[in-house]
Amino acid sequence: MIIREFGVRQGRKALAAPLRRGQQCMRALSTETSGTPVATADPAVEAALQTSPENPTVPSLFARTAKPTRRRPVAPDTTKADWETAQQLRHNLRNVGAQVEHRYSPSDVFRNPPGPKDVTLELLMASQAHMGHHASVWNPANARYIYGIRQGIHIISLEQTAAHLRRAARVVEEVAYHGGLILFVGTRPGQTQIVTQAARLAKACHLFTKWTPGTITNSDKILPGLPVEIVNEHDQPVGGFNQHLMDRRALVPDLVVCLNPLENFTMLRECSQANVPTIGIVDTNTEPTWVTYAIPANDDSLRCLAVIGSVLGRAGEAGQKRRMEDAKNGKVTWDTPSEIKQFMDIQQKRAQWTKRAAEEEAATKDKSGGLNGKPSSGSATKDSEVFDESMQKLQMEVDAATADDVSPQLRKMSRRTD
Amino acid sequence: MVRGPAQRQIRPARVYQTVTTLMEHRIKPRLAVQQPVWYKVVESIPPSEILTRPFPPQHRQPNPRARKASRLFQPQKLVYKEDELRKKFYTDHPWELARPRMIIEMDGKDALRCDWSKGLRQPGMPLSGECVVQRQMYLMENVPGITEDTAYDQVRKEFYKLRQEEEIERRIAQEEARMVGAYFGQTFQQVGMKLEDQQFERWKRWATREIEKIQGEQTAAYSSFDASEDPEAADLDVDSLREDLESTANTPPA
Repeated sequence: MIIREFGVRQGRKALAAPLRRGQQCMRALSTETSGTPVATADPAVEAALQTSPENPTVPSLFARTAKPTRRRPVAPDTTKADWETAQQLRHNLRNVGAQVEHRYSPSDVFRNPPGPKDVTLELLMASQAHMGHHASVWNPANARYIYGIRQGIHIISLEQTAAHLRRAARVVEEVAYHGGLILFVGTRPGQTQIVTQAARLAKACHLFTKWTPGTITNSDKILPGLPVEIVNEHDQPVGGFNQHLMDRRALVPDLVVCLNPLENFTMLRECSQANVPTIGIVDTNTEPTWVTYAIPANDDSLRCLAVIGSVLGRAGEAGQKRRMEDAKNGKVTWDTPSEIKQFMDIQQKRAQWTKRAAEEEAATKDKSGGLNGKPSSGSATKDSEVFDESMQKLQMEVDAATADDVSPQLRKMSRRTD
Repeated sequence: MVRGPAQRQIRPARVYQTVTTLMEHRIKPRLAVQQPVWYKVVESIPPSEILTRPFPPQHRQPNPRARKASRLFQPQKLVYKEDELRKKFYTDHPWELARPRMIIEMDGKDALRCDWSKGLRQPGMPLSGECVVQRQMYLMENVPGITEDTAYDQVRKEFYKLRQEEEIERRIAQEEARMVGAYFGQTFQQVGMKLEDQQFERWKRWATREIEKIQGEQTAAYSSFDASEDPEAADLDVDSLREDLESTANTPPA
């Protein structure tokens, strides 16, 4: 035992309330019945105990023959009193013992995620963003980001890291502002929390398991029938698109942030084929051309990744906030996707034609009921023919649009203005 | 998955140009390519330049006698003045490296909280060789006329004094704790010695068994002869084993 802790332990024991004994202990300890009343929840037992021991009441026949109930007496709830005692104790002992200084904890970055404005060279250095790989495994394409060699490893220039990180944060913010779909990818062990937190902040998607090859390029086979929702500019779901959702293609993100490009070549390749810009953390052994925006940093340090992820997440959060504010003021920062626009046009025209046809029919009925006995449904048939023709034309257009592979810019959150 | 030699990709950096081309030249005349969400963003924030080999940051003086440039476009080694001091200190005190050391930084401004004019002890930093190096650096830079060796000697002595103080403090704390009834288990060395002794005893038992076995074999082999006739019949192996056993049994366990 260490002498310093003596006061804490013994003091706490001395100040604490004595151990509260339950009723069963008392009964076990004494064979005779005591005159002191014992708190019980059973009113019958309580009444029996409260009667004076001089003239004991004869138990009734039922009480004599009845088996004792199995129900245990309920102890009074002392949670509140205990809690208050504990608080008092803590208050009394507040000056006892050593003052614990707050040092670094890996969860700090998750409790209080830094934003793009908190990025400093000191922070990046403390989170080991400057450590590259051994000089022999470098990728010469990263020469621009390397400051020097120290003890055999390349040191990444933190000025470059900070500049590229701010640039990437700006991209994330703007894409979020324009209502784009962002995807955070980190598939190494330990990156789950980083990725999910960034996605939560930026209202984005995340991936921490293996990227199924073909999720973008073969999405018709890999992601069929996944639930998609149409929302308006206030991010509220809009109904009436079930028919469209049944036969629309899967979504493609508008921006992909990858924490470990080295293991996700397939995904980055698919993104480049679908013309999706990507942001990636590029260590000294990574190929920087795989991503659109490279952030030179140490991709082996979870602390560094957590800082970068939270910075990008915060940037996305700022963009989403701006977008929602603008939406409240009546400004919509995105255009309706073309396929949804087409669907809406078709729906509108169909409604118009149906209405007109109904009107025509009503008019014909009126006429036939009047002077002219001959049923003249000529105009109505003509109208319906025209309607059918136009519907066919539109349908052909839609078919052409959906059959073509030229337009990969399908949006996840397909939106329409109200 | 593709690992191995990195493949250069040209499309990621050129998404903007690709989509611009798609939008301008309609491949299917009836189908307009819609402007992607990120289009204006990437237009206003273009990706940085890559794949050019810049002249790297220089950390050494150019050699005036060099005939031709060497490793002109490769990163250079980072060398600091403290490196020599550190090397010297740890060569002289190699066991300082055996002490556990905290290398995690809190917020990167840890060095700013130290004031080396005030001595070796700094807040939030245990005494280590790094303190000596930093203090020596401070003296060399701020005390006029002080040489490296003088500064080293001065700081070294301060360091010894503090280490001694630490040792005494620890001993007294231990004594105090023992006085009020604390007990400490075996030290690591004691545990190690105990384990070693156990193995040693095991070996002794095994060796005794082996001797008995060999002797039994020998007596069986010479059963036709008179047992008292030849005491030299024992093999060298048995002798050496017995000698080992006796000598080890005589020496007290450490």
